Amino acid sequence: MTISLMLAILLLGSIAAFLSRTREQARTAAVVSSWTALIISIFMFLNYEPSKGLNNFREFYSWIPSIGISYHVGVDGVSLPMVLLTAIISALCTIYAWEEKRRSNQFFALILVMDFSLTGVFVSLDFFLFYIFWELVLIPMFFIIGIWGGPRKDYSAIKFLIYTHVASVVMLLGIFAMYYFHGKTTGAYTFDIPVLLSAYQTLPLAPLWREFIFAALLFGFLVKMPAVPFHTWLPDAHVEAPTVGSILLAGVLLKMGGYGLFRFLIPMIPNASHLFIYAIALFGLVSILYTPVAAFTQPDIKKLIAFSSIGHMGFISLGVAAFMASGEEVPRIFAASGAMFQLFAHGIITSVLFGSAGIIEHHTGTRIIQNLGGLAKKMPKFAFLIILGFLASMGFPGMAGFVAEFSVLAGSYPQLPYIIIIALLSIPLSIGYHLWAIQRAVFGAYNERLGSVTDVTWYEFAAMAAWVLLIITLGLHPAPLFEMMRSSAVQFINILPPGGIAP
Amino acid sequence: MSYLLLAPELVLISVSILVLLLGLFIKEKKILGYVSIAALLVALLLVLGSFNVRESFVGYPFYSAVVVDSFAQFFNILFLTVALLVCIASLEYYGNNPSQDEYYFLVFIATTGMMLVAIANDLIVLFIGFELASLSTYALAGFDKNSKFGAEGAMKYFIFGGLSSAVLLFGISLAYGISGTVNILEMKEFLAAHAARFESIAILAMLLILAGFGFKMALVPFHMWAPDTYEGSPSVISALLAAGSKKMGFVAAFRVFLLALIAVKLQWYLAFAILAVITMTLGNVLAIMQNSVKRMLAYSSIAHAGYIAIAFAVIAYSSNAAQTALAGAAMHALSHALATASAFIAVAAVGLIYPKNDILENYDGLGKTAPTTALLMTVMLLSLAGIPPTFGFYTKFVLFLSAIQAELIGLAIIAVLNSALSVYYYARVIMRMYWGKPKTEKVKESPAYVTAMIIAVVITVILGLYPNPISEWAYGAAEAVLR
Repeated sequence: MTISLMLAILLLGSIAAFLSRTREQARTAAVVSSWTALIISIFMFLNYEPSKGLNNFREFYSWIPSIGISYHVGVDGVSLPMVLLTAIISALCTIYAWEEKRRSNQFFALILVMDFSLTGVFVSLDFFLFYIFWELVLIPMFFIIGIWGGPRKDYSAIKFLIYTHVASVVMLLGIFAMYYFHGKTTGAYTFDIPVLLSAYQTLPLAPLWREFIFAALLFGFLVKMPAVPFHTWLPDAHVEAPTVGSILLAGVLLKMGGYGLFRFLIPMIPNASHLFIYAIALFGLVSILYTPVAAFTQPDIKKLIAFSSIGHMGFISLGVAAFMASGEEVPRIFAASGAMFQLFAHGIITSVLFGSAGIIEHHTGTRIIQNLGGLAKKMPKFAFLIILGFLASMGFPGMAGFVAEFSVLAGSYPQLPYIIIIALLSIPLSIGYHLWAIQRAVFGAYNERLGSVTDVTWYEFAAMAAWVLLIITLGLHPAPLFEMMRSSAVQFINILPPGGIAP
Repeated sequence: MSYLLLAPELVLISVSILVLLLGLFIKEKKILGYVSIAALLVALLLVLGSFNVRESFVGYPFYSAVVVDSFAQFFNILFLTVALLVCIASLEYYGNNPSQDEYYFLVFIATTGMMLVAIANDLIVLFIGFELASLSTYALAGFDKNSKFGAEGAMKYFIFGGLSSAVLLFGISLAYGISGTVNILEMKEFLAAHAARFESIAILAMLLILAGFGFKMALVPFHMWAPDTYEGSPSVISALLAAGSKKMGFVAAFRVFLLALIAVKLQWYLAFAILAVITMTLGNVLAIMQNSVKRMLAYSSIAHAGYIAIAFAVIAYSSNAAQTALAGAAMHALSHALATASAFIAVAAVGLIYPKNDILENYDGLGKTAPTTALLMTVMLLSLAGIPPTFGFYTKFVLFLSAIQAELIGLAIIAVLNSALSVYYYARVIMRMYWGKPKTEKVKESPAYVTAMIIAVVITVILGLYPNPISEWAYGAAEAVLR
């Protein structure tokens, strides 16, 4: 009942926030329900038993038996950290948005709807339920970009909606095909995720259908992550989205794609074409290499951060591919755990970065790097936070991002040596654009044209400091989270043929 | 006691005459609207009370001319619900109109005609029902006598409709000529036994019948009248046309065409697939270009006709996906009827604020000026777009699933991409409503419109969250027809 309780609290909270008359009421509803959800997810985290796998907090109720749909939820070492991440980021977002002035009741309600639907995506174990949440995520984000967004919000909101919706419906066709062929073969029509995934390995499928199913799901996830070249909706959406929208978008929404690779594609790869492993690795590599090139040329600090997300998500594809490829068990598990850790770490780091971009825009009135300069002189507290955020993003040791990316690179090297060597090229470039941006924006002489700027407010500082603290804690002591992920990677590796999949 | 199954139709006919008579005597004609609503509720309860039936009325006095089965009852519920929504909305739209009595009479006769088509097991009965519905909706489409657009739309609808009736009748006469019977089931048996001898005439007959139904369904290339008529008609009548009359075309086509098709074993799935693809694509592409919400909804319902037409291709191609396809089509007809009817009612509600209620610019800031209408319309547009957790999502889900079950992957891909494309023009209206600049202060919203829309929205959301009962009904109904 724990998961359902959490979902119900978030849903009720969003309704309460929507119906409330004043900002204070809406904020109270949002803070109470999102922090309650956070407490529940921490409770789940502490009571997680690695040996039980997906049976942790599992709930199963028949829902639409006529076509084999059930309300089936549960968490394992892949999804529970994602639930926790969603809860942390949403809860801190309600603090960050403390003084949202425009239509604040709707704003807080939409944050909670996002929290609700994202949590739902990560806990669903039925494809129908999963798809409902997967699509439901788009609606609040569409409104957040559209109502509170910047000048080109119409274009960005609709581009975001259509682009990701196309990917979702293609994925849906893959789900249909899996459902149909499973039912045709076994006589039991069901949308249950564990059943369909384990059956996919033994289904006698025509090659066309087999590859189609895998490719359809992969496409759905690659667009969400996003991987270059399916990334073009992301910079637009970020540039126009309000800060909290960007935080939720980059912090959690992109993680749905990475999560999908783990939950669905790893169990399916043995029966699909093995070329897909290299396809996934290449998508990751291209994203990693493309990012610094694009980021160097961005005048807008928020767009720069948006591009950095794409590169970080590339490490997840890389880790997943390295996990599937043939090699020793130890490095493969290491790569996969690293990739899962990256899902979590990047969510927190990017929240700090987008939070910083939001503070810059809010306090100085511009996001163009050239118009900034010397912010450290007027905003020392802010400078401290943004520097830590940028260091974490470029993979500074002792911080969460380093743990993740180091594990992915080290664990992937034995399986995919050439790809990793090329990927390493991006590291100096990545450090370069991070430092260059921060040098121009935060250091140097103060740009007098900005007038008088004030330092961060208490609620901005509280939310940002919490994220930074988490980054450092996870960087120095990753063990509790990392172990949980590793336990799941160990379970996944038993699904694959021993020794991985040779090309 | 089985005659009780025909009670809903009898209630409608007697109340329609009652309304006409009452109109002669009473001054406060608004009461007629309430009488109509009460009658529709009674009819709806009668249908709901006898859902899982199969009564063929063999022998005197009907001689199997009608059959009341769960498929017919499914569509009867659809027609009655649409009529109910239209009548509730009409309390506001025609609340002060002196000829309300005629209006409700025509709506009732149109609904009776649609219900007759749903229960017809005989081509003559089917044709009579078809004409009953057509003739009364011709008059309804031009009910605002002073509107030029209304007159143009009604005239177009009448001319196209008259032609389609003639074509349909010719097709029926050819089919009768081959088989010597007008009973649909007997005709099916005859064709199954003697298909080879009459193949060319059977194809011609079927083409003509398809054309006749195609006009009502607004399948491309028989769709030309729809946008002009929906735009010109009073909004509540556009709702009746798009939600009710159009679905009558589908129920007729499923009754007659699929049975005959299965009997003749024509491998025509490709033709149907192309028809479905062209209809949905053209509808969606043209809907994107519209600046009038009513025309946009008209093209969107053409696109939805294309989705429903997927069922024809699937049933023609694969017998093991037929049940899913037919159930999906029936449910999609229902979800589209609810959504499009209340979207047109929302357009009528906007008409209270601006005289030109269909221009897209007039939806700017509706979320502020008329928040309830805007919210309800948003839910309905999301249902049309197939976004969960609405009923529109579930029905598209089942419909597209059937295409995969038939292994028609190309058709499925085109259909989902079309559906994704359609999100654009629905979202555009939502964007206008929520982040356009309001032009006026907050206005008082009409309780009649809001009630009608709330009923539809509540049904849509409940069925979206818990579709199991309706899904089982629809599957059972599909089985009843295909058996």
